[in-house]
Amino acid sequence: MSRAARVAALFLIALSTGVARVSAHDIPRDVTVQAFARPDGRTFRLLVRVPMKAIMDIEFPRQDRDFMDLDRIDQSLRDASMIWLARKIELYEEDRLVGDPKILSTRVSLESDRSFDTYEHALAHVTGPALTSATTLFWEQGMLDVLFEYPIQSDRSHFAIHMAFDRLGITVVTALRFLPPGGVVRAYELEGDAGLVPLDPRWHQAALRFVTLGFFHILDGTDHLLFLFCLVIPFRRIWTLVPIVTAFTVAHSITLIAAAYSYAPGAQWFPPLIETLIATSIVYMALENIVVVTPRRRWLITFLFGLVHGFGFSFGLQHTVQFAGSYLLTSLLSFNVGVELGQLLVLVLIVPALDVLFRFVVAERMGTIILSAFVAHTAWHWTVDRYGVLRQFPWPTVTAADAATAIRWLMALIAVLATAYLLSRAAASARASGTPDTPGHIPK
Amino acid sequence: MMKLAGNRTLVLGASVVALLVALGISQAVLDRSAAAQSKGAVQAPRFEVDPLWPKPLPNHWILGSTIGVWVDTDDHVWIIHRSSATLGNNEKTLETKQGECCAGAPPVLEFDQDGNLLRHWGGPGQGYEWPDSNHGIFIDHKGNVWIGGNGGPDSHILKFTKDGKFLLQIGKKGARRKASAGAGNQEGQVAGFVGGSNDPMNFGRVAKVVVDPKANEAYVADGYLNKRVAVLDADTGKMKRYWGAYGNKPDDTPLPAYDPANKPAQQFYNPVHCADISVDRFIYVCDRVGDRLQVFTPEGKFVKEGFFGKTTKGSGAVWDIAFSKDPQQKYIFVPDGMNDIVRVIDRQTLQELTSFGDGGRQPGQFYGVHSIATDSKGNIYTTETWEGKRLQRFLYKGLGPVTKPHQGVVWPGSNATK
Repeated sequence: MSRAARVAALFLIALSTGVARVSAHDIPRDVTVQAFARPDGRTFRLLVRVPMKAIMDIEFPRQDRDFMDLDRIDQSLRDASMIWLARKIELYEEDRLVGDPKILSTRVSLESDRSFDTYEHALAHVTGPALTSATTLFWEQGMLDVLFEYPIQSDRSHFAIHMAFDRLGITVVTALRFLPPGGVVRAYELEGDAGLVPLDPRWHQAALRFVTLGFFHILDGTDHLLFLFCLVIPFRRIWTLVPIVTAFTVAHSITLIAAAYSYAPGAQWFPPLIETLIATSIVYMALENIVVVTPRRRWLITFLFGLVHGFGFSFGLQHTVQFAGSYLLTSLLSFNVGVELGQLLVLVLIVPALDVLFRFVVAERMGTIILSAFVAHTAWHWTVDRYGVLRQFPWPTVTAADAATAIRWLMALIAVLATAYLLSRAAASARASGTPDTPGHIPK
Repeated sequence: MMKLAGNRTLVLGASVVALLVALGISQAVLDRSAAAQSKGAVQAPRFEVDPLWPKPLPNHWILGSTIGVWVDTDDHVWIIHRSSATLGNNEKTLETKQGECCAGAPPVLEFDQDGNLLRHWGGPGQGYEWPDSNHGIFIDHKGNVWIGGNGGPDSHILKFTKDGKFLLQIGKKGARRKASAGAGNQEGQVAGFVGGSNDPMNFGRVAKVVVDPKANEAYVADGYLNKRVAVLDADTGKMKRYWGAYGNKPDDTPLPAYDPANKPAQQFYNPVHCADISVDRFIYVCDRVGDRLQVFTPEGKFVKEGFFGKTTKGSGAVWDIAFSKDPQQKYIFVPDGMNDIVRVIDRQTLQELTSFGDGGRQPGQFYGVHSIATDSKGNIYTTETWEGKRLQRFLYKGLGPVTKPHQGVVWPGSNATK
């Protein structure tokens, strides 16, 4: 055999051995990663638990029936921790990238192990005794636990973390708990690669995140946009739009904040009820546009429907409230600001378009009727579909406690409407009494 | 005019204030009444059926008699069913190529919390003997799947990985067959087979297996032919100990038909249908036909028993057991496939607090409710045998005062929470 042939043969053998060593298994469908992050003095400890089935291309030593060989497994656990975890994590301290972590400890755990319920239990587990070598554990059914340590300047710094774990599975959720000094625990549920997450966001970071969320949420919500569209078809002047849009904003802010503070019913029938009412609100607005030439008191009906839409917004916000840190109210108000900015963008686009349409294509009244009819048709189908879901949940049995809660809500609504009415009366009377004396007013 | 307008505002304002006062008083009265309603009442977990769970199966698959359910550490719900063997020809025309629907689904199915089907596998394969009539499913602390079987010749237990890779068979199929006997798979069929409740190697139609993670021991409800609880090393399958009713040495002598007027039998009836271990390490065993639940120490010392639906004959009233998810496991849930209800029982006193369900095919009703399991949120999952052939979820709605001994069908909204 020539030298070249021997080299080729050796290469093939090495290649085939290498291929055989690689663990061939499917990418798991759902992977949950659990993590604790705790800055302490000049070190930042990160505890991570990941299912071993999510680790690709690392051979864990095995024995009979593919049970793990726990006597020989340490090096492969460290390799997996470095390649699949440490290299996918970026930790920032005051916007500065922190250097590579040290791997302080690795462990294999049973999937039924519950020590990742608290930081203390998890730390004790990862630094405590390992499974005995007699344990029979099928290699894909184990959990890899790792304790990383990062060097930091101070545990009081602001930290941000990027955990790019999206390639561990088709759907990856990382449950991260951050424990800054002072005993607060911040829980995050990150999906896939959630990007850079400020662990204890400053108010402006939280605000910016929620303004962005609100902005894209309204642009993504076809039903909210159609409702807005119906509102403005007959009202395209700025001074007629302001009270209507304000009423909508105030109303949806009230219910959105109420829902975020857990004042909304948690029953199964509630989301489909709200979705159905949102569709109904669009049908109503569209029909009113058709039937009534100049709708009056639109701000009032908009306010009532705005309350419903606010609950609708809250469903979209359920999984993102975690990013508010200690600024829940700021974040909710910012979300509303984002929604407002989105609405303004839409209005800026729609109003001139409608003006052009009514000026050059179709007469205003006829155009209003045609557009509203299209919207009513679409929204009617939504209403029927959503009611179809809702009717699977019959009316709940009303208990005394339910009735008391309903009455409290009714009282709040009456108080808000009475205040709004008084304010509008006060504004009207101020206008009426102020008109003759307004400086610069030139009587015709 | 100004005066008139002023009066009107005053009247309106006064009306609103009066309305708010009236509503305030009403809600205070209602609050007091609600507090009075709940005061002093016995508390029990409340549930509502989730009619939209699970989602429809793909591939025109349908379930056969569904005789096992367990929830793993990821809150995934695993069931085992008897598939085509229990489907009528008019149910499986895709399989018989007579039409387009349907076909029996693979026996082992895994669902996520959204009701999506994940893994599916099962059936005969290399290296093991699949039961003639699989029965019971359990996922142990290492993620392994345990399966029993109550078909005529089934006298063994199987262990697989969650992906269906075979790991272990304990006992041999056919070990209980009498010489010259034919096969059969009817529940309770004894002809041709003989019990062997003192056999340390094989079983007699195992109903359910659970594994105690602390001792790494498997507890076997053994079974439809044998009359014992057997305890095995969960890794090797080696039998460590076993016992019969009241901790007696099991005896396979056939018992007379259950009669509630008679003194309780000193041996288990067939089938011994469940065994499960509580957080305080007591073993709960279902004597299905004897309408009783017996409690033992892990060593097999009898502790206490409770009777439920004691007048129930035929297939009996105590089919399976699941513990509530509070740390003390204050409550146990027992499906009763003869009366088609789930009983809610105080674990310490073994007193029945309430029950829910009814016979029928609508959500929340049952036909042969057979197996039960709870998830980490306290929700209940049930499966139905015979022609019930389904998996249902009941959402946990918190503790509430017991107002009725039997709640009937717990339809959505009946126990709504704030």
